[in-house]
Amino acid sequence: MDGSAAQARVSPGQRAPAVVRVPVSLRVNGSERRLEVDTRTTLLDALRDGLKLTGTKKGCDQGQCGACTVHVDGRRVLSCLTLAASADGREVRTIEGLEQDGTPHPLQEAFVRHDGLQCGYCTAGQIMSAVALIEEGRAGSDDEIREFMSGNLCRCGAYPNIVAAIREVAGRGDHA
Amino acid sequence: MDRPVVGEGIDRVDARVKVSGRATYPTDADLPGLAHAVLVQSTVAAGRLTAVDTTAATAAPGVLAVLTHENAPPLREARDRLGPLPPPPLQSDRIVHHGENVAVVVAETFEQATEAARLVTARYAPSPPVVDIDDPGAEHVRDPFGSDGGTGDVGAALATAPVRVERTYRTAVNTNHPMGPFATVASWEGDKLTVHDSTQGPSNTRIGLAGTLGVPQDDVRVLAPYIGGGFGSGLRTWPHTVLATVAARHVGRPVKLVLTRKQMFTSVGHRPDTRQTVRIGATRDGRITAIDHEAWQTVSIRDVNPEHVTRASLSGYASPNISARDVQVRVNVPSPGSMRAPGDAQGNFALESALDELAYELDLDPLELRLRNYADRHPVTGQQWSSNDLRACYRTGAERFGWSRRDPRPRSMRRGRHLVGYGMAGTSFFFAQFACAARVTVTRDGGAVVASAGMDLGTGTYTVMTQLAAELLGLPVRRVRMVMGDSSLPEAPVAGGSGLTGSMGSAIHAAARNTVRAFLDLVRDDAGSPLRGAAVDDVRVEHGRIVRVDDGRGESYAEILTRHRQDELTAEGSAEAPSEDEPVVPTGPYAAKFAEVHVDADLGVIRVARLVTAAHCGRVLNEKTARGQLVGGTVGGIGMALLEHTVTEPRTGRIANGTFGDYLIAVNADIPDLEVHFVGGPDPTTPNGTKGCGELGIPGTAAAIANAVFHATGTRVRRLPITIEQVL
Repeated sequence: MDGSAAQARVSPGQRAPAVVRVPVSLRVNGSERRLEVDTRTTLLDALRDGLKLTGTKKGCDQGQCGACTVHVDGRRVLSCLTLAASADGREVRTIEGLEQDGTPHPLQEAFVRHDGLQCGYCTAGQIMSAVALIEEGRAGSDDEIREFMSGNLCRCGAYPNIVAAIREVAGRGDHA
Repeated sequence: MDRPVVGEGIDRVDARVKVSGRATYPTDADLPGLAHAVLVQSTVAAGRLTAVDTTAATAAPGVLAVLTHENAPPLREARDRLGPLPPPPLQSDRIVHHGENVAVVVAETFEQATEAARLVTARYAPSPPVVDIDDPGAEHVRDPFGSDGGTGDVGAALATAPVRVERTYRTAVNTNHPMGPFATVASWEGDKLTVHDSTQGPSNTRIGLAGTLGVPQDDVRVLAPYIGGGFGSGLRTWPHTVLATVAARHVGRPVKLVLTRKQMFTSVGHRPDTRQTVRIGATRDGRITAIDHEAWQTVSIRDVNPEHVTRASLSGYASPNISARDVQVRVNVPSPGSMRAPGDAQGNFALESALDELAYELDLDPLELRLRNYADRHPVTGQQWSSNDLRACYRTGAERFGWSRRDPRPRSMRRGRHLVGYGMAGTSFFFAQFACAARVTVTRDGGAVVASAGMDLGTGTYTVMTQLAAELLGLPVRRVRMVMGDSSLPEAPVAGGSGLTGSMGSAIHAAARNTVRAFLDLVRDDAGSPLRGAAVDDVRVEHGRIVRVDDGRGESYAEILTRHRQDELTAEGSAEAPSEDEPVVPTGPYAAKFAEVHVDADLGVIRVARLVTAAHCGRVLNEKTARGQLVGGTVGGIGMALLEHTVTEPRTGRIANGTFGDYLIAVNADIPDLEVHFVGGPDPTTPNGTKGCGELGIPGTAAAIANAVFHATGTRVRRLPITIEQVL
């Protein structure tokens, strides 16, 4: 060690790039939404900061916790690893779009009944994953549910209740 | 028919707002003109800053300000209700841990602030860090909490004990990692500061911020109606919260600062690692004659962390000779802090593992060993327990688990290619109740609003306090609304030490009683009231009515308010911490835990197959949320036992696994069905009979699993987390 060390993430004198903004058109929870985003903006931040849909949560911003799970064109994606610009023209569904005419989705009801949440921060991601999991036919057994829900971390440890909620709705077959 | 409102596992009152995405967490706060702050943290663990070049960052698009130690305002070293705060940020060029704040960048957007933070260039004159608990060069602090103690003569008793075990155990650094990255949104209006913060105690953070900033407490308001978990990391007023307030004042706009997941490793505490030596002496028939427990733990260079690792060794078993000592080792790591069951989680692993080892030395069932040494009073002070149903926990747990089916010989039980192990452990947790105030407002429509500044970090406080207030006011649950998480409400303690249920419950008990008293005052001379002249002890409450105990006559809250032309009636109440020095000592909860593990005989992969907990938590206010606390704690305990290990590079002091991909916490597939059984009765210390159950799920879990791993494999693992290579 030479007695000094620099925090060398960039070379000295480097300039920040100019901000590039692009128009993006999304169909979010059934409504056409247009916004202009920084090319670096993730779909997660566009939903939260741009469209004020704060039900979707940022847990790690690295695609490792599942809190930001939303559906894009019917498939679950990690919105923190999706650039907003790349979602142009897509259909996006978030936790705010699960209710139909004021009636909660059966999974939302089941999470309440089975206490599948504590702090509630991971809950939107858990429910969005669970909805897709059932639609994909991946909820056939408890072991299958546990395996396919393992991309959604819950630090409060509500896992057994989350499994119970999904099991109930998957078994009932009224999850459409 | 009427059903009791307390005890029943009603759905969480805040569940619907959470499953719909409408609950507002600190990071969701949105204010006009909001700017975004991003931290720059040090890349060395010890030394001095020689320069911080902010030129490029300041010139970057959208940047409003860059604060470093050279231009940050002076901040005070302050205290809150829990003790000294961590050292205030950006006050000197000294660096004492990797990931220490060296700058905060404020910009128009999050992306711009993130980009500009990369352009800050810090230069250091580093010195070699000390990071290892065993480093001979580290400073040691003996008896750091003034808690060392014991009874009798341990040395003599050990020397003459017919059977002895002496073992050293180690536990790893764990990091809290609530799912919600800690966030602060700060805004100033003149001298008034409003802060949305990931805190477990709005009142406490208000005190901490006011002290650090040198402003009156009345000028600070802290809001935390919901936070994304905490597990202890929200107890203290951390530097990033202070920096958000400083940045907001500097740029004259509201500022949002959200820690990155990586910064969650360095900014909001962790469970320190330990090295513990336990010596136990016993007679051949399994009577413990001596317990000696010395626990070493790490702490940061400039901070304090009250973490009493040996606590339970002073009170757990009926030994005539006990000595327990704690030592802190100062190393260049971030400030530690409370993590669910701080100290107890590590200390229990050592003590309950050593007892299992003693049971094998004695050829005695580990459960029987514990029953033979049950402490029917405090073994050091001689005080009676306020309540202690630990033996019922052992009996119920063993029965539900099927402990009698256990063949005690290691490696004796198999299932296919898996070695099967049964292990158990007992645990206690301390009693905590702190000063708390609450306010009850009964409105003319016959409903009530109950307010206290305490907060619900996911434990169920909103729900159980709603139930309790409903019971104490004689109202249906749906007519009571809890308002919490706001420092402008009556002061409440932090949600910590498993103490908020007892604290706030006692305050609401007092406030409800004062409410009834206020109604009786209102009708004291009211010829139209059947309650005229009644005292608070002459009446009971039911169905929204106050009625005389003697003749059952009474009237409703609504009738009284209407007749007296009042819209509402408000009363406050408060409760203090009970004395610990009485002949009967306030006694916390107990649990017995029984684990079954399956270990792949060829690959060493360990899985917890099931885990049964029997717990004495006093009166259970809500069976569903209390179970959630025990289950959640157990999930954390499984992580502590098998997965969690914050790894610090010895040469640099850098945390080497600072992501969720590398720092492993339990995922859904790691967790089997977890059984919880509540046993025992209410505790007489508080008027509501509770003991607190938020942390009881963790201690005992790792020991039960480690003991099961020994039973399965014949390999005793004395270092957490238990990993494959340790059992192969």
